Amino acid sequence: MGLGVALTVAGCGGGGGGKAAQDPSAPLELWARTTPGGDGEKGMKKLAAAFEAATGQKVEVTAIFDDFETKLSQRAAQKDLPDIVMNDSSQLGTMVGQGIVREVDLSAIKGSDQLLAPAIEAARAADGKTYGVPYSAQASALLIRKDWRAKTGLPVPANWDQLVALAKAFTTQDPDGNGKADTYGMAVPGSTKRGYASWYFSNFLWAGGGDFIAKQPDGKYKPAMTTPESIAATTWFRDLACTSKVIQPGAATMDTPPTNETFEAGKTGMYVVGPYLMPRFDSSLGKDKYEVVPMPKGPKDSTVLAEGGSVYLMAGSKNEAAQNAFAAYAISAEGQKIGMEGEKAFIVQLPVNKSVDITSVRPDPRWKLYADAYREHGRYAPSIPNWTVVRQSTADTVNALIADCGLDTGAELKKLDQKLGEALGQQGIGAS
Amino acid sequence: MSVREAAPLTARAPVTRTSARDRRRRGGQWWVPWLFLAPALVLFLYFKFIPMARAVSMSVQEVRPYLGNTWVGGANYAEILSSDGFRSAAWNTVVLAVGQTFGSMVLGFGLALLVEGQTRKLTFIRSAAFLPVVVPLAVTAELWRIMYHPTGDGLMNQVIGLIGLGPSGFINDPHTSLASIAVTGIWRGAPYDMMIFLAGLAGIDRGLYEAATVDGASTWRRIVHVTLPGLRPVFAILFVLAAVRGFRTFTEVFLLTNGGPNGSTEVVMTLIYKLGLEQSRLGVGSAGAVLLFAATLVLTVCVQLLRRRRSA
Repeated sequence: MGLGVALTVAGCGGGGGGKAAQDPSAPLELWARTTPGGDGEKGMKKLAAAFEAATGQKVEVTAIFDDFETKLSQRAAQKDLPDIVMNDSSQLGTMVGQGIVREVDLSAIKGSDQLLAPAIEAARAADGKTYGVPYSAQASALLIRKDWRAKTGLPVPANWDQLVALAKAFTTQDPDGNGKADTYGMAVPGSTKRGYASWYFSNFLWAGGGDFIAKQPDGKYKPAMTTPESIAATTWFRDLACTSKVIQPGAATMDTPPTNETFEAGKTGMYVVGPYLMPRFDSSLGKDKYEVVPMPKGPKDSTVLAEGGSVYLMAGSKNEAAQNAFAAYAISAEGQKIGMEGEKAFIVQLPVNKSVDITSVRPDPRWKLYADAYREHGRYAPSIPNWTVVRQSTADTVNALIADCGLDTGAELKKLDQKLGEALGQQGIGAS
Repeated sequence: MSVREAAPLTARAPVTRTSARDRRRRGGQWWVPWLFLAPALVLFLYFKFIPMARAVSMSVQEVRPYLGNTWVGGANYAEILSSDGFRSAAWNTVVLAVGQTFGSMVLGFGLALLVEGQTRKLTFIRSAAFLPVVVPLAVTAELWRIMYHPTGDGLMNQVIGLIGLGPSGFINDPHTSLASIAVTGIWRGAPYDMMIFLAGLAGIDRGLYEAATVDGASTWRRIVHVTLPGLRPVFAILFVLAAVRGFRTFTEVFLLTNGGPNGSTEVVMTLIYKLGLEQSRLGVGSAGAVLLFAATLVLTVCVQLLRRRRSA
């Protein structure tokens, strides 16, 4: 009864594709995926106000965190999207698939030639077109308990072997001196929630020369978790939990908040994270207690996971010129500096503009280290139509392997490859 | 043994009498009750029935809010039914629902027998025992996650260590994770069942106990022959409520393990959440939701039919 009652009858298949009538004075509605009332929102408002002061163009900022994508879908169904969405760069594929973002003509975005190469790459979708403008980036580095390392007398790890040696020392040598065996070498958020296990592992998989999926010459993808490099990297990571037992207990059910706490509480001595946790650890643990060092080199290289935020120009906007102008402002030297200012309320982690030197805004050398890691070794997740499916399937497998040491790595990875193959096929990018 | 004597009087007869009297008094305006029901019905329509209809329609489409949905017929159902993930999640859901339902009922019944009575002390104990039900589930789950810490100094490991067991991985070990979540669910559900049992116990005719005592029945026999038959309708209600609750288990699994490790605790609800909201495949997620609804409906109808046949 009444099945069709509430069905929104969309027009023909490509509804919403047409360009709306333009009104150059229409205010921009901006949605940011950040906690309402939090620092992120303050930072966004600061940037919007600066843009308004520079151009006279009005911007209304709305911060939404919970169910951001669902709420966006609702607005999409009403054919009334916000003009600008500031969200994770990794959401690109999903948003393109939903047809809710418009293609960006980089020549119409002033200053886009100043964008760093990996950032531009992250804005390109599977079809080779550009659909967003990255405004902030971040990469991973290794945090080490400085006082613990001093106690063990071991050097800053330069490769994986040294990393394992230090992790073992932290686990077995009682670095906190409380007489109990209650410290562990590595903090790992190994939960499947939001794909954390795979997100964390990608740093090691890529540095080991492995990959989740491999791009073929024809632009299609093949699952790549059973290549020798991927198997070796997975086995090495799993051994941290199963053989040397240097990962904190309970890692398999921990997402980031409890994992952060293990590092703060002196239960774990090393943690691979982005720069956004430094302000938190500085106040909870103390700046002098830990050091930030580049990721140790893996069997292949020092690749680390790069992520960031993008300005998405949404489809059906009445003011495309202002959309372009806002994106241009967000990546301009001025916009980037405003985004970086402040102790807490900053929205730009690392600048994406070549001409902006992070030390001019943040003299702390640790930020420079992150910026270098991003520029030299940063690698984004590929922009496929639905990366979440790949991340989640991989997280399930990595989580299983660190939770159950009786499983056979090869067999599990074979199963994973099959799942990834199906997912790629469903997304129409599977190589035959 | 006569159940019907022990069963509480059905309230049907007096209701018909009063409604007939009411009808005379109000001149039979049929719309009056509907008027009182209207606010709730409007809310139900808007927040329950329309979304349910939407879910059914979405389950046969590929959902793309902006581009317009495309009709895919049974493809979403075929995909979800043929996936390994769904089958193991359905199995886990059934195991968890059965475990939690019976565990909560047995424990709730035991508690109810212990705290039945009139004294003021018991009122306090009853309120204390009921606390787990009113604590938000998110808080409960987080506390249990801490208690299940998988090393020897974790709280639960210290408890089982007293009898020489452990240390167990609890939610971190695929072999014990589902049981650990069931224990959390039982801890939370038992006091709720206890309250309903208490209400049922109050309805049992004291004379029957006295008669049984005079006949020389032991406590155990009194429970078996007087208490349990008297609680038959309560069992049926509880069974439906608990089973429906068990089928829809989400929060504790989501917060404790999110379906891991190795999918050992994946239930239908967490799977639907992952497919629909995390992977933005709302069509496939809706198909899962419709299947879950159908299963719950079938179960409820079966229990009702069984009850009717019993009381006929």
